[in-house]
Amino acid sequence: MSLDSITVEVIKGALTYAAEEMGIVLRNSAYSPNIKERMDFSCTLFDHKKRLAAQAEHIPVHLGSMQLAVQKGLEKFKGRLENGDMILFNDPYISGTHLPDITLICPIFHEHKIIAYSANKAHHSDVGGKAPGSMAGDATEIYQEGIIIPPVKFVKRKGIDKEIASILLSNVRTPEIRLGDLRAQMAANLLGKKRVLELVDRYGVETLHRAMEEIMNYSERRMRIEISKMPKGSFSAEDYLENTGTSNKKVKIKVTVTIKKNQLIIDYTGTDKQVNGPVNAVLGVTLSGVYYALRCLTDPTIPMNDGCYRPVEIRVREGTLMNPTPPAPVAGGNVETSQRNVDVLLKAFAQILPEKVCAACQGTMNNIAVGGINPENGKPWTFYETIAGGFGGRRGIDGVDAIHTHMTNTMNTPIEAIESIHPIRFLKYELRENSGGAGKWRGGVGLERSWMLLASSATLSVLAERTKMSPWGLYGGKSGAKGEYYIIKPNGKRMKLRSKCTVKFEKGDVFVVRTPGGGGYGNPMEREPKLVLHDVLNGLVSLEAAKKDYGVAIDPVTMKIDWKSTELVRAKQKT
Amino acid sequence: MTKYRVAIDIGGTFTDLVALNEKNGKILNIKIPSTPREPAKAVIKAFQEFLGKTNNAEVSVIIHATTIATNALLGQLNLELPKTALITTKGFRDIIEIGRQRRHELYNLFIQKPRTLIPRTLRFEVEERTGPKGEILTPLNKNQLESLAKQLENENVKSVVVALLFSYINQKHEHEIGKILNKALPKTYVSLSSEIAPEYREYERTSTAVVNAVLMPIVSRYLDDLQRKIGKLRVKAPLCIMQSDGGIATKNVASKKPVSMVESGPAAGVIASAFYGKLLGINNILSFDMGGTTAKAGAIKEATPEVVSEYEVAGKVHSGRIVKGSGYPVRYPFIDLAECSAGGGTIAWVDEGKTLQVGPISAGAEPGPACYGKGGKQPTVTDANVVLGRLNPKYMLGGRMEIYPKLSEKAILREIGGKIRLELAEAAAGIIKIADSAMAKILRIVSVERGHDPRDFVLMCFGGAGPMHSCALAEELKITKIIVPHNPGLFAAHGLLAADFRNNLVKAIMKLTEEVEVKRVEAVFQKLELQGAKVLEKQRVPKVNIHFIRQMDLRYFGQSYELAISTFKPLTEKVLHRTVESFHKKHRAIYGYAVKDEPVELVNVKLIAVGILEKPKLEEKPPLHGEKPSKEATIAKRKVFFEQDNGYIETSVYRRERLKAGTVINGPAVVEQYDATTLVYPDWMAFVDRFENIVLSIGNGGS
Repeated sequence: MSLDSITVEVIKGALTYAAEEMGIVLRNSAYSPNIKERMDFSCTLFDHKKRLAAQAEHIPVHLGSMQLAVQKGLEKFKGRLENGDMILFNDPYISGTHLPDITLICPIFHEHKIIAYSANKAHHSDVGGKAPGSMAGDATEIYQEGIIIPPVKFVKRKGIDKEIASILLSNVRTPEIRLGDLRAQMAANLLGKKRVLELVDRYGVETLHRAMEEIMNYSERRMRIEISKMPKGSFSAEDYLENTGTSNKKVKIKVTVTIKKNQLIIDYTGTDKQVNGPVNAVLGVTLSGVYYALRCLTDPTIPMNDGCYRPVEIRVREGTLMNPTPPAPVAGGNVETSQRNVDVLLKAFAQILPEKVCAACQGTMNNIAVGGINPENGKPWTFYETIAGGFGGRRGIDGVDAIHTHMTNTMNTPIEAIESIHPIRFLKYELRENSGGAGKWRGGVGLERSWMLLASSATLSVLAERTKMSPWGLYGGKSGAKGEYYIIKPNGKRMKLRSKCTVKFEKGDVFVVRTPGGGGYGNPMEREPKLVLHDVLNGLVSLEAAKKDYGVAIDPVTMKIDWKSTELVRAKQKT
Repeated sequence: MTKYRVAIDIGGTFTDLVALNEKNGKILNIKIPSTPREPAKAVIKAFQEFLGKTNNAEVSVIIHATTIATNALLGQLNLELPKTALITTKGFRDIIEIGRQRRHELYNLFIQKPRTLIPRTLRFEVEERTGPKGEILTPLNKNQLESLAKQLENENVKSVVVALLFSYINQKHEHEIGKILNKALPKTYVSLSSEIAPEYREYERTSTAVVNAVLMPIVSRYLDDLQRKIGKLRVKAPLCIMQSDGGIATKNVASKKPVSMVESGPAAGVIASAFYGKLLGINNILSFDMGGTTAKAGAIKEATPEVVSEYEVAGKVHSGRIVKGSGYPVRYPFIDLAECSAGGGTIAWVDEGKTLQVGPISAGAEPGPACYGKGGKQPTVTDANVVLGRLNPKYMLGGRMEIYPKLSEKAILREIGGKIRLELAEAAAGIIKIADSAMAKILRIVSVERGHDPRDFVLMCFGGAGPMHSCALAEELKITKIIVPHNPGLFAAHGLLAADFRNNLVKAIMKLTEEVEVKRVEAVFQKLELQGAKVLEKQRVPKVNIHFIRQMDLRYFGQSYELAISTFKPLTEKVLHRTVESFHKKHRAIYGYAVKDEPVELVNVKLIAVGILEKPKLEEKPPLHGEKPSKEATIAKRKVFFEQDNGYIETSVYRRERLKAGTVINGPAVVEQYDATTLVYPDWMAFVDRFENIVLSIGNGGS
């Protein structure tokens, strides 16, 4: 008997809702701003065969890694899992992201059999290692990036294993917060478990499993239909990381997209070998980028599950930047290489789907981690954040100003929250003039954020990109501005920082971040002059740039468009 | 002379005027087509009809729910937003634009932020800085302000917002700027963030103040105009507005804080549920309102509607919840509502993956469901209900509107059955099942997600389409009792008649509870009480009717979301301890754990000043006891589809207007009335109570 499609649809809704609800519990009960305010986590449900059945829309960089994590992370527990257990790990080579992302998996038992799993992953703002925030920009081995936890039974029937917890907590800078966040992760999994068991009560295990299978088939079907609508052929693109964190060498990512009837092949042949800096992207991160790009280019309402993976074949050789082997450091692969991966993929797709892609977005997450000893209470403090930048221009509309793009979507922490607990004082948080790539549709502008250190000293890590190679424009659009990071000493001296570094700095020093803008789309000389004037009046484009990049002359006194000279300049440009 | 209390609810299609005769409790209903471009026009027309019908009766008070605030922000009504300027701390004028730096849709490369309410050209910075403890780090540069005031005047700015960093802990600089502006620009509206939303989180506080400032000129003009026009009809009663928290305020108070009324309309239904709950002695209610395009759910716990402290105005709704970043955040108590696109007019369709979907698109009033015969080709939830025999197959609105069931059948067979190989009844039942599961989800959001067990609640089902789905929803949530009020289609307007005056005050504390000096916090509460009482007295609320509700926003130190916990007067160490205990308890209920040895932080103290308005006395019918429905009430028998039996059952149909109080009907049954149909499932029993509500209960009703 075939399962009726209405029941499948109802169970699909219930599973998605359960994953979302897990996210709400995790967020609301967590301690660290990173999880609560920035929502840097993902919640999922798996079937008994460890295939992804439902994933809440939380953060794209976890899209492809959760299934890998559940499949690899549980390997060694085969036949040894008991009701009440939860498995914890953060080893990136198993979990598929980076050390700060701690994965927690809960097998769901019914009548002594595992019938499903609830699992979540959350970014902890510190897991030890050489730099506070565990995002060292200059690590050469993963051992410097923090404590590596292989899959362990962290939770047993009686609760958290205190022995394991004590090892973990002895290796991190803010143990109380870590424990609070882990408890929240437990609460989320327990909720997922409860919801799945409620479905079992109502429909029975067999119906639930068949519905899960059908939900995956449904996603697969829809994915294949979407792919079949794309023009067929092979298209390549490449782009670079500007350095490795440990050397100034550029690193190439190359991808070839092949579209067959209703199948996609993504081939990374031509990508550079893994490097000894923290920008290696473990396989899970690479897959996440592919699925992210596909969701954007197809229909994002297709439910995310194992079925979405089936029509896509991904070829990426071991030992390369996009599929490294231990002990290569990987903290930045998750955040920086993952962004470049999307740039390369969209660049390839731009050749066939120009109306569906955007010019390059800021191409970095601007990871900033800082910490030291808080002079007010003598306790260690750490603060981690990622900073928004420009979105690339799109056909028909400008890129969005100052927003998180592609693989991240974490919120900022309110300044009033940061200053209340950390010894820093903000000086500026504003849009950055002239940073959006010129284009018929302008790239979004980046932003400037700066603060002063109030403690006697602290360690600062920057993990970023696009300070040397700008976010590219499309179809005649110009590049967005590069990112800049520097420290201004009390005597006014400016120290430029590399895009990946860990430095000590002192009381009164001011740290300044200027994030990249998005690339422009289309020839800027074709931009509606009134839009250029609007940008000038709003301080997003300078008078000079209006003339130079857009050929629009504006009278500096009346602030009106000088139509005659505008026509002249633009006509000249054409010839 | 008889006085009337008048409620006016302006909806998208109809403007309802509901008048309560304060002497005998009888209610007069007037329905006029809305005039969206000029909402006051329909109101005046309704008033004229009311005055005609009652021979110019005296009106004691007018209570109004309006969507003008939301519509203005959504860019509807052709309302140009007034020129508004923002003054911020130096270096931070873009906080309002950067927001939380998050995009509200993850996989949309064509995403756009909601339009900025204040352009960058009108965002100004002043030299000043307050620190996290309220300490002044840079004094305010007043010279700068004088030239700024001139500039604002030249720019012809109508409304100004002042939002400085840390003003929630020290208002000094905002106050100083406010004073200077009031003096220099007496005609300009000024909103201070520390007065509108004195809570931490700079973006949300600024946004709240900005929304307030943008709305002030619009709302003031609208309400002044309305009052004047009503005045011309020689009606002198005070005009009150329903706020998003379900309380009311007079026109003058509401005009100063229009941010308090952005969700004016939807709150009314929940207040009506709470009022009926009190009347019937029911404390825990899930309020469910299903109309033509959407369904809304709210919860009432211990006779108090649940409120949330933040909302995004003009935001997008995704699977029941407002998507963060899609609208304009406003910090204010809002009746907690979850919403989904499931109404009578919601369209069912088959997607590319060959799966039946319901919504989010609605056929609206034009062309409406296929069965209206107005050209609608897409099958809707209403069409499914027609096919299943749940809706009268001949007419609606008491015979005023003809129904064409053949058109429903055709639409369902063509668009659904033909595409995924389902029989007519299967397809129709499928549409209902999927719509029901979406609606059950919003009921779960307001109950389960907030730590409540729906089984402890009674379901109050209203709106034109609600009572048809009530049994299915109740069974899904394991609820055993449902109330379908007397007039489901006008029920929300009844909420306006039953509302109290409310004034919300908040003060940020940001201290660990173990470090709190209770005497100082008690003093803060008392100060807020004085402020609240003053506002209510201005609205002529007699002193004896003023009550206070105290709350504390608490969280574990390090968390960044707080829970509002009730507390009592006077605050002592013991009371504080008890409040912290209730916090642990609530935390456990909602999040599954509590950590008793963890320090707890007192983020805000909150005071709600309530001015109790005498409640309407509804007409009561002498109850019969367990009578069978009279012959004249039984109007037909027809085949109705019930999922439990997976088939059609011969079912009796009753005319609601003819069912006397005390009547008992065993399911399956259909009860029809002018603008709603109540479906009684098999195993359910319907009882008409003394207020002529239908009370449905499951289980022992079969006898």
